[in-house]
Amino acid sequence: MNRAKKRHPLVDAKKPNLLEDTYPYSLPPLIRFEGPVIENIDGKAVEFDFGAVKDRNILISDTTFRDGQQARPPYTIDQMVHIYDLLSRLSGPNGVIRQTEFFLYTKNDRETLDKCRSLGHKYPECTGWIRAIKGDFRLVKEAGLKETGMLTSCSDYHIFHKLKFRSRAECMDSYCEVVDAAFEAGVRPRCHLEDLTRADIDGFVLPFVERLMEMSSQVPEELTAKIRLCDTMGFGISYPGAELPRSIPKLIYKLNQECGVPSDRLEWHGHNDFHKVHTNGGTAWLYGCDVVNTTLFGFGERTGNPPLESAIFEYIALKGDLCEIDTMVITELANYMRSIGLPIPDNYPFVGRSFNTTRAGIHADGLRRDEQIYNIFDTEKLLARPPRVAITDKSGTDGVVHWVNEFFGLKGEDRINKIKIHKIARWVIDQYDEHGRLTAISDQELEAKVKELMPDYWAKYKAS
Amino acid sequence: MATVEERVKEVTAQVLKLDSDQIKLDDSFTADLGAESVQSIELVAMFEEEFGIEMDEDAALSVETVGKAVDFITQVCAEQGVDVEE
Repeated sequence: MNRAKKRHPLVDAKKPNLLEDTYPYSLPPLIRFEGPVIENIDGKAVEFDFGAVKDRNILISDTTFRDGQQARPPYTIDQMVHIYDLLSRLSGPNGVIRQTEFFLYTKNDRETLDKCRSLGHKYPECTGWIRAIKGDFRLVKEAGLKETGMLTSCSDYHIFHKLKFRSRAECMDSYCEVVDAAFEAGVRPRCHLEDLTRADIDGFVLPFVERLMEMSSQVPEELTAKIRLCDTMGFGISYPGAELPRSIPKLIYKLNQECGVPSDRLEWHGHNDFHKVHTNGGTAWLYGCDVVNTTLFGFGERTGNPPLESAIFEYIALKGDLCEIDTMVITELANYMRSIGLPIPDNYPFVGRSFNTTRAGIHADGLRRDEQIYNIFDTEKLLARPPRVAITDKSGTDGVVHWVNEFFGLKGEDRINKIKIHKIARWVIDQYDEHGRLTAISDQELEAKVKELMPDYWAKYKAS
Repeated sequence: MATVEERVKEVTAQVLKLDSDQIKLDDSFTADLGAESVQSIELVAMFEEEFGIEMDEDAALSVETVGKAVDFITQVCAEQGVDVEE
C-alpha cells in the first residue's frame, strides 16, 4: 500500500545545482532561516525570529585565561600575552571577540593583565574574575578594570551544599551586598549564575535577577549588572519544548523578556559534558542572548567550553559575511598552542592535523575531481589548510595521486594523472599486501619514494 | 615486428603474471583476467611505455577487454604518428 502523502516529481537538470547561496565555498556554509520559531512557554506560544540575528550585535567573549587555564598547567606570562595579541588580531576591527577575563589574585595574574593592556589593543577588552567577596573589589579597582565577573551560584546544590547558606534569602542578601560593593567601587558586576541549569528558576533565579535589575536601575548604565548564564555541568538543552531549568530558550526568554535584562547584558557560558556545547552557544545567540563565552579550542574545566574558533565560524555563517575577521589567525593560534604543549586531537574540527584529511580512496577520487566534493569550505583560503589525503591500504591510486599533486603543488591542467604515479601506488599496496604493514604511511616516507620513483617530476618541481 | 595484439597480450601477461597464450581478445581485464585497481593503472602505464604513446587517463581506464585495448591503442598510435604492425 502506498502511504505517500505528497508527490515529489523529479526536477530534471542538465547542469548541477550546487546550492551556492548556502554553500558559497569561499565562506563557511551559511545558516539561513525561514519563518519564525515557536516555543511554548507557560502555556503560551512565543515566536522567535532567528533571522534577526543577522542584524543583532551578537558577540563572542573569551575565558581562555580563566576557565581555559583551570584545565591545564598555568601559562607563562609571555605565552598569555602572545595569545592575547593573537586573539586581538582574530577579533578584527569590529571587536567580535569583545572581552576576555583574567584572574587577579597573584602577582603574575596582575603582571599578565598589565602587559596585555600595554599592547594597546581595543579588543578584547580585559575584565576580571573574582569570588563574590566584598574585599576582592579592591583587586579589581587596583587593576583599573571596569568590569568583573563574580560567582553568584544559584542552584541549591551550591547554595546549601557548597556555600552552606542557611536559606536562599540569606544567600541572595549576601550576593546583593557584593553587587552593592561593586557599584560603590565603580566596577560593573557580571553576575555568574553558576549551575543555572540545575537551579530553581522560579524560586530563586528570577527573584534574584529581578532584584539585580532593581539595583541596576539605581546606577549609571555603564555599571548595570550583566548576567552570565552558566551551564556549569553542561545540562543545557537546545531542543524546543524542553523543560526548565534545562531549556536554553526558556531560560533566555525568562531573563530577557520577563526580568527585562537586555540582550546585550546576557552572556551564555556552557560546558561540554554532553557534547552539546557549541550548539548550545549558538542556540543562546538565536534566542536573544547577545554574548557567547568561549575558550580557544574548547579547553576548559573537565570537558571544556564552547570552542572560540567554532563560534567564529558560526558567527560568519549566521552573518553571511566574514565581517573583516581574519580566520587565518585561527591556524596561527593552533600552531602556537601546539608549540607550547596544548594537545589538539588530529581530528579536531578546523585545526586538528587531519581535520580535512581523507583516507578513503573513493573520497580521494572525489577530491581529485573537485575538492569541493569532500571539503567543508575553502580551507586553504580561510585557514591555510588545503584538503589532504592520508595514505593507507584504503587510499587507492586516487589517494596517492591526490597526495602527489598536493605535494608538488599542482593544480588544474598541471595536475599529474594516475598513470604517472603507478610505481608509487604499487609501492604503497605492496607495503600492506606483501609486507603486512598496519600503520599509515607518513609524508616523509612518501616524499622519499616520490624522489626515488618519479625523478623527472622531482627535478622539475622540487629540485630548485 | 610483433603485432599490436601480440604486444598487448605480452604486456598484459607480464603485468598480471599470466601466460600470454591463455589471453583471449574478448577477455575482460577485470572479470576474466583478475586485474585489480592498481593493476589497471599499471597496464595503462606499461602500454604507454611499450608503444611510446600518451593515453587519456579516463578513456584508457574505461577500456574493458583485451580486444578493445588493441583497437584503442592502434587508434592512439595512429593519432600520435607511431608506426605499429596491425
